Amino acid sequence: METLYYLVLIPMAYIAFAVFVLGTAARLVKIFREPAATVKLQIFPEKRPKWLWAVYDTFLFPTVLRHKPLLWAFLMLFHISFMLLIIGHLELIRGFAVFQIVPHEVFLGKGFIGLILSICLLYFLFRRFSSPVRELSVPEDYYLLVLLFLTVFFGSEMDWARRWYYYDTISVDNYREYLFSLLTLKPELPYEITSSGHSFMLVLHIFFANLFLIFFPFSQAMHSFLSLPMNKIRRG
Amino acid sequence: MEEKTRDDLLKLFQGRFNRAVRFYLETCTRCGVCVEACHVYVSMGQAKYISASRHELVRRLYKKYFKARGKLWPSLGEAKELNESSLTELYDAAYSCTGCRRCMAYCPFGIDTQMVMSIAKFILIGASMEPEILTMLADMSIEKGKSFELFKEGFLQGIRNLEAEVVKKWQTEAGAAAIPVGVQDADLLYVALAGAHSIVPAAAVFNAAKENWTLSFFEAVNFGAFMGDPTRTTLIMNRIVEEAKRLRVREVCICECGTAFRVMKQMAESLPFKVSSITEAHARYIRGGRVKLDRSKFTGLMTYHDPCQLARNGGVIDEPRYILGHLADNFVEMSPDPRMNWCCGGGGGLVALGEETLDFRMKSSRVKADQIRETGAATLVTACENCHTQLSNINDHYKLGVNVKFLSSMVADALVGD
Repeated sequence: METLYYLVLIPMAYIAFAVFVLGTAARLVKIFREPAATVKLQIFPEKRPKWLWAVYDTFLFPTVLRHKPLLWAFLMLFHISFMLLIIGHLELIRGFAVFQIVPHEVFLGKGFIGLILSICLLYFLFRRFSSPVRELSVPEDYYLLVLLFLTVFFGSEMDWARRWYYYDTISVDNYREYLFSLLTLKPELPYEITSSGHSFMLVLHIFFANLFLIFFPFSQAMHSFLSLPMNKIRRG
Repeated sequence: MEEKTRDDLLKLFQGRFNRAVRFYLETCTRCGVCVEACHVYVSMGQAKYISASRHELVRRLYKKYFKARGKLWPSLGEAKELNESSLTELYDAAYSCTGCRRCMAYCPFGIDTQMVMSIAKFILIGASMEPEILTMLADMSIEKGKSFELFKEGFLQGIRNLEAEVVKKWQTEAGAAAIPVGVQDADLLYVALAGAHSIVPAAAVFNAAKENWTLSFFEAVNFGAFMGDPTRTTLIMNRIVEEAKRLRVREVCICECGTAFRVMKQMAESLPFKVSSITEAHARYIRGGRVKLDRSKFTGLMTYHDPCQLARNGGVIDEPRYILGHLADNFVEMSPDPRMNWCCGGGGGLVALGEETLDFRMKSSRVKADQIRETGAATLVTACENCHTQLSNINDHYKLGVNVKFLSSMVADALVGD
């Protein structure tokens, strides 16, 4: 069991991170090296400045708000929570003064960010079970959502245990020790990380997160990088 | 399908890659926001007509042949082999898409279904599965460009016959040609469609506005664009570009043909002249006081159908409304937002295919018929040949009892002499 924990927490994490970074970079290079379309693909009426409207489209999804308001609400919650979650994880590497502008205890969001994300992901998943989105969906859409749900759910469970049930055998300092050691290429597994009653949650969380990172560059999750240039094309 | 054929078709596919195409093929999350965007889906209810379903067909081939996943784990994205059955599916998707790009106003990323469908159409040309009539019409246009001296006499004779009609209806300056052709250094080159309705009223307005204009030898329509063939599209367009350069005109004005306007306006690179639609020119004449219109000429409630290629895809939105403001007191908008106007259902070459597509065109435009009916208008105005034909067909089929009219003809009919 210990070997398995070790494999997931250290070598697999490195591999996943490398695939994520290199894969994403390689795919972006490949896409952006294609020549730009010679046809103007914008739609009208035009609003200026175009780049600002493209940013607006990218981050506020106005077309979704207009046509599918409920989906929009879940999408906004999901994406905002996802960004907060990234900040939360950065704080699990070390403290950043800039994030403490709004003073908070690590992990950010008192456990609610994970809860919101889990609910959003279940919504995204279940809406794919009903027509007509069911007809549009392909297996990867389900895999991706299930994978994200499992990642978020096991990650959140640790947070909930600490924040709501005061079961804090793995402390923020333990996470920092582990993640910082990974980052400085001197990987270490603190005793609490692998031997607490909640270690299995951490291992499963990292396992699914690794799978997600590996899958990321080859999936539609790439929209995180492509949405802005695409919206710029539409705005002209 | 033979290996060699498949490879050839895949080369055609690959040849169409550019940054935007890569974006479109990599990004769709199949979120379903576009479900209600397509008039065909909303009218007919079959999931294959949802715009995401359409481009997913092309994306499945892309996943199969241009992504490692297609070999390692094809079922993940339902990657699909290119064979006879997938070609049939592509045909179904591409020739039921009118290229209206309404779905682009729904998609959170702005995926352009028309562009992806033009790849499908291009693959179909490679497989000799495109509608033959479009190829024939496109090749005829190209041929006319190559040897227009042969066509010249017949064309000029036709124009002389039309001139009489212009003079009969509208006075022209003494000594001036009612329909000038081949005028060197003219200010404006007007590119019409074959047919008096596209030439006679336009000539009347140009003459009334005292425009220094000349008529193009070539017809505006671009069958290459309907076919999704960039080479033919460019060849057909270049006939006009070359003519405009030869005559050293300052402006090329495209008749009421949405596709021709979009091709010239959005697809041509750096032209030495301005491109306008006849609707824009007419609005300019009215604004500048160069023509005056009799607003008592037309009565009854009027509505305007925004041709997709002119409005959503070409940006000509305010001008037709400005013109109608001078023609009618009684105007009602068809759609609260012109960007969201329903396509007439005749674009993408469907009207050009005539009777062959009539049944489908009528079934797929139920939503358009409802939209027209709801306006309660007696006159339905539009500024595109394709739309006009399709709307007239809808009018007959759904017994709407409206009068379908060209905006330019109305301007000509309402001209007031000095």
